[in-house]
Amino acid sequence: MISRRDFLRATSVAAAAAATIRPLLSWAADETGVAIPGKDGMIVRSARFLDLETPPEYFNSWITPVPHFFVRNHMHEPSTLDAATWQLSVGGEVEKPLTLTLADLKKLELHSVTNTLECAGNGRAFQRPQVPGVQWGKGAVGTGHFSGPRLRDVLHRAGVKTTGKHVMFHGLDEVPGKVPPFIRSIPIDKALDSDTLIALEMNGAPLTKPHGSPARALVPGWIGAASCKWLAEIKVLDKEFEGNFMSPGYRFPNQPGKPGEPVKPEDTHPVTGLNVKSVIAAPSEGAAVKGRSVHVQGVAWAGEADIVKVEVSADSGATWQVTQLGKEHAKYAWRLWNYAWKPGKAGDYVLMSRATDSQGRVQPETAVWNPSGYLYNAYDQVRIHVS
Amino acid sequence: MCRDTISLLLMLLVAALLLLSCSPMVAQTQGSPHVVMGLQKPPKVGEVVALPSGPMAEKAATACTECHESRIIVQQRLSKGAWTKEVDKMVKWGALVDPSDHYALIDYLSSNFGVDKPPYEAGRTPSSTGKK
Repeated sequence: MISRRDFLRATSVAAAAAATIRPLLSWAADETGVAIPGKDGMIVRSARFLDLETPPEYFNSWITPVPHFFVRNHMHEPSTLDAATWQLSVGGEVEKPLTLTLADLKKLELHSVTNTLECAGNGRAFQRPQVPGVQWGKGAVGTGHFSGPRLRDVLHRAGVKTTGKHVMFHGLDEVPGKVPPFIRSIPIDKALDSDTLIALEMNGAPLTKPHGSPARALVPGWIGAASCKWLAEIKVLDKEFEGNFMSPGYRFPNQPGKPGEPVKPEDTHPVTGLNVKSVIAAPSEGAAVKGRSVHVQGVAWAGEADIVKVEVSADSGATWQVTQLGKEHAKYAWRLWNYAWKPGKAGDYVLMSRATDSQGRVQPETAVWNPSGYLYNAYDQVRIHVS
Repeated sequence: MCRDTISLLLMLLVAALLLLSCSPMVAQTQGSPHVVMGLQKPPKVGEVVALPSGPMAEKAATACTECHESRIIVQQRLSKGAWTKEVDKMVKWGALVDPSDHYALIDYLSSNFGVDKPPYEAGRTPSSTGKK
C-alpha cells in the first residue's frame, strides 16, 4: 500500500513539475480561446493564418492600442526575421537600384501619419448572398500612429525613371503550397504622396511582428492590403503589377450589379481608397440599458476624405439626430462621435448610425454587393433593450 | 508489485494528469472549437479539428488544413456553386484532393457549411479586462 506521505510526495513532485512548465505556457492559460502573445480580447477569425478582429466595444479611443488592433495575414508570418540583417531592395524603373538596412532608413527624415487602417473585407459577413473569405464583422479596422521615412524620399534616392508608373511591394510572407505570393502595387502618384510611408513604428514603438516588423508600407486612406507588411522589396514598374492579389483579387465592380450575379473581370477596377463608414461602439449588440439618457458612441472614417457628420436613428431611419464629433482629428484618421439619446419609453430598439464625408458621400442603407465582399459600408446597427 | 513501484507509477500518473491540466493542447469536442495555440505554425497535435463527422471529414482536414486551420472552413456559409469554386481554386493552389473525392468533398462542405446553417460564433483571445 502507498502511504499518505508517499502520495503527498508524488503530488508535490507533479505539482512542482506543472508549476515549472506553466509559466512557459502562460500565454496559453485561457483554455476558452486562442491566446496570441501581445493581443488582448480579440475575435479569432483564424489563428493560422493569423486573422484577429477588434470587438466594437474597443472602439472607444482615437488611437487603437496595439493589443486591440486587428491583424490580417494572408499567409504565414516570416519564421525568421532579424532586424539586424534585414534589407530592403529598391529597383525596377529606377536610375540607381538601392539596398537599404534598417539603420539606413532611420537616417532619413521621419514622418508620422495617424491613419485608419481597414481591411477591404471588413463587414464581409454581412453581405447577402454570402461570399467566401474571412468572415469579418465590424472590427477589421483600427487607427494607429505610424512613423517612418517617406516612400518618396527613398524613391527619389533611387531616381524614378519617367517610365515608372506603379510601385510594387513584396513582403516576406511565407507562401504555402502553390498559393501565389502576396505582391501588390500602387500607382506612382500615391507612392510619391508626402504621407505614404515606409513605416517602422506604430503607436510610438517599433512595429510588432503581426503588424509587419521591421518595416511595412503605409498607404494612408487606402485598404489595408495596400500597406504591405514585412516589406523586403520595392520595385518601380511601368504598369500595374499583374498577379492574383491585383486581379482577380481586390477588385470592385465598376457599376453595382444584382446581388449574387457574377461580375466580368473587365467590368472591375482595383480597390483603393476606403468608403465612408461609421460603427457603433456602445451600446453593444443585445445590451440592456437603463435610464432616461443612453450614451451612444462610435467611430467614423472616410479614407482620404474627412468625416463631416455622423447621425443616429432609433426609428428605422425615419428621423436622424446629429451626433457630436470628437475633438481629435487628422487627415486619414477616424473621428470619435457620441450622442446622448433619450429613448422616451422602455422597449426594444434598433439604433442605427450613418456618416457623411467631405466629398458628399453618405453611408448607404445597403452596401454595394460584390463577389468578394469588399468595402461593406451599410448603416451600422445594434439591437438593444431599454428598461 | 513492490510499494516503490506502485508509488512511482502513481507519481507519474498524477504528474501526467497535472501536466495535461495546464497543457495548451486541449481536446476537441465537436461544435466547441476551443483550442489554444500561440504560434503561426503550431504542431499538428494542436491543430483545430472542429470539422463535423462525415465521409470526407478526414480528407477535408488533410487537404485544407495543411495550409490553413479549420476555422477558415467552418465560418463560411456558401452555396454548392460557391464551394465548388473554392475547392477548385484551392486545388489549383496546391490542395491535394484525389479526383475521385472531388464531388464528395464539395458535398461535404456545402451540406455542413451551406447558406442555411446558423452563423458561426467565433471565440476570443483572453482579455485582460475580462470582457467577453
